[in-house]
Amino acid sequence: MDKADWIEWHVANAGMIKALIAGSLISVSCSVIGCFIVLRRMAFLADAVAHAMLAGVVASYLVLRAVFGFQANSIIILVGALFAGLLTVALIGFVTRVSRVKEDAAIGIMYTGIFALGGFFASIKTFSVYIDVDLVGFVAGSVVATSLADLWTLAIVCTIVFSVVILFYRQLLLTSFDPVMAASIGIPVLAIDYLLTACTSLVVVCGVNIVGVILVVALLITPAATAYLLFDRLNRMLIASAFFGLCGFWGGYFVSMWTGNAPGPSVVVMSTLIFLLTLLLAPRYGMVAEWLRKRNQLPQELVEDIMGYLLKNDGQAAIREVSEQVSFKGFSTRSAVGKLEKEELVILEGESVCLTSEGRRTARKLRRAHRLWETYLQSTGMSADQVHEKAHELEHVHDEDAVDYLDHKLGHPLTDPHGAEIPEDFVHIEAGGEIRLSLLREGDRATVLAVGGLDASTGVKEGSEIQIGPRLSSNLWTATLLASNRTIEIDHQTADTIFVRKH
Amino acid sequence: MNSEQPYAVQVDHLTVSYGPVPALLDISFAVEPGQLVGIIGPNGSGKSTLVKALLGFVKPDYGSIRLFGKETEKEKGSVAYVPQRGAVDWDFPVTVRDVARMGRYPKIPWWRDISAEERRIADEALEMVRMSEYANRQIGQLSGGQQQRVFMARALAQDSELLLLDEPFAGVDAATEKAILDVLRKTREAGRTTLVVHHDLATAAEYFDRLVLLKQRLFAYGPPEAILQPELLAEVYEGTLRVFNDLSTRNGSSPADVPGGPDG
Repeated sequence: MDKADWIEWHVANAGMIKALIAGSLISVSCSVIGCFIVLRRMAFLADAVAHAMLAGVVASYLVLRAVFGFQANSIIILVGALFAGLLTVALIGFVTRVSRVKEDAAIGIMYTGIFALGGFFASIKTFSVYIDVDLVGFVAGSVVATSLADLWTLAIVCTIVFSVVILFYRQLLLTSFDPVMAASIGIPVLAIDYLLTACTSLVVVCGVNIVGVILVVALLITPAATAYLLFDRLNRMLIASAFFGLCGFWGGYFVSMWTGNAPGPSVVVMSTLIFLLTLLLAPRYGMVAEWLRKRNQLPQELVEDIMGYLLKNDGQAAIREVSEQVSFKGFSTRSAVGKLEKEELVILEGESVCLTSEGRRTARKLRRAHRLWETYLQSTGMSADQVHEKAHELEHVHDEDAVDYLDHKLGHPLTDPHGAEIPEDFVHIEAGGEIRLSLLREGDRATVLAVGGLDASTGVKEGSEIQIGPRLSSNLWTATLLASNRTIEIDHQTADTIFVRKH
Repeated sequence: MNSEQPYAVQVDHLTVSYGPVPALLDISFAVEPGQLVGIIGPNGSGKSTLVKALLGFVKPDYGSIRLFGKETEKEKGSVAYVPQRGAVDWDFPVTVRDVARMGRYPKIPWWRDISAEERRIADEALEMVRMSEYANRQIGQLSGGQQQRVFMARALAQDSELLLLDEPFAGVDAATEKAILDVLRKTREAGRTTLVVHHDLATAAEYFDRLVLLKQRLFAYGPPEAILQPELLAEVYEGTLRVFNDLSTRNGSSPADVPGGPDG
């Protein structure tokens, strides 16, 4: 293509080029602001601002005509819409503050009211001659009719929006994430809220050009929500959102050229498709990923029953025997054992299954949960014959926090109601780990790191070496100071405050 | 400057009401700098209102709060606040490191980017609560205790003279409890003042230098041994008296040998 052709092509397609530039600028700025709207859960408020701008547009025509006697241009209209947006948000805030009406109702009242006010004046004959608002275009959008002046307005809006987001990035982040902290460190939260509302009004006014007032919210939140499914950092989410906004616009625009319909709906449909595709396929928060995670996961109960059975049999059993003793509806025990082998919890040797050291640790953790639950249920007064069965159900609740809580509440018991030992040498007690003294068992040696509530007269100091003796009662620990060979008694409450490092 | 050192927190006749119901009625107490103070009281006793008042969010109907001798309104940024876990949007796209850096925001002028020095301070704060290895995790992908520690790190990075923690020990594991206590002790050693909203009476005596016992009115303020009296607690926690009977026997010689224990 030589130069003359190139120019000719441009002249011939000037309308399309303008529309593409305008659309790109609009969708990028909408998508960026949309991120904050999604994170602050203000989609409904954005919709309100979009509708309210009709009143702003109508008012700017009327005021300019009445006061200065000339026709409003796109900049003036922008200012009018901006005022209408801010006024709507202020009114919503006012109604919520002074009455018991909640925010969603207040939004519903104010945006329909202000939208209708605009529509009312625009449809009165006396005024409508001065108002150059194409109500159909306003509702459905018309990016095809972009003028050069519109492009300049857009350039200004984009500059403002990007300056605000870049300059006030931290303030926008903090007021969205934790407004309480933001206010407590003196960030003017209300001013930032209005700044964001102002930006929303500006981009919405531009967005209405493409897709119309009904669909403009889609330009704001669909790309942002798509990015939200993919990224865990705000800065990346902003960039991704802008990208998806562009994709939606370009895709939708060319589809509309091909089919010959208005671009508005196809842009929104395209964005929505991108969102749905992402919802399906997003690597972490997508539905397929979730489904795969669930499918690859063995039922916890089955895993635990297999492990428990192996532990009971000294860590080894024939696979046939395991299948006979353990079953779970819909899953083959044999394939479950295969998965456990992949996780290195068991080793398969011919027809025999063997716990690995990691597997033994896991199994003992489970036994601890089971026996602690039994002890707990016993203490609540449940009859002995029910305890085992119920504990068997509950041991699958072996979230470590919950089990630790039981252990603490029960006073770190050594044995369960049947007199069987409750294992406690694996969860917290690793050599070198820092733990409470109350968790140690007879014979354990440790270095004291913090004496906590222990009386100084006992001679125990930071750095003292101790060996744990037998418990005198369920509430009285004993320990021998290795340096002086002196034996001291420590009650449960105090033992909980002493931190040691086990050898 | 006065010859005597101002109190870290000075609450005078503070009265706050929502509509016709007073949430706080004539509360007065003063906290000396460097104290670790627990705020206790039953549900709905006005603890969170007091927190809001200390942060300067609710306007008192009457009375005042002074922090280091200055009105709360004019002392914005002097309080490092750790919110309740339930008050945070854990799906928000921020990482552990992002949250710690928020603690430095008050020190950074709005036109400047966060400097290397500020980043270092934030990373140090994470190190202090042993969360450095999770710095790049999104905050929702942490255990409850780790989440609590991240917000502790943010408060530390803020480097304030006054820390305000809302129920930091609610539902955390032993490691986190210890990490929080460690940090609280370190801040006390550094001479900072800390107010902690707390619900577990059993541990209140062990953790704090002073206790504020609230139920709309200020029932008592002072050292734990003076506050944790069965009669006083019975008056404040009418319906839940049983707990305190247990508590008082526990402070005595023969704690009940019942599994399920006194703090149940």
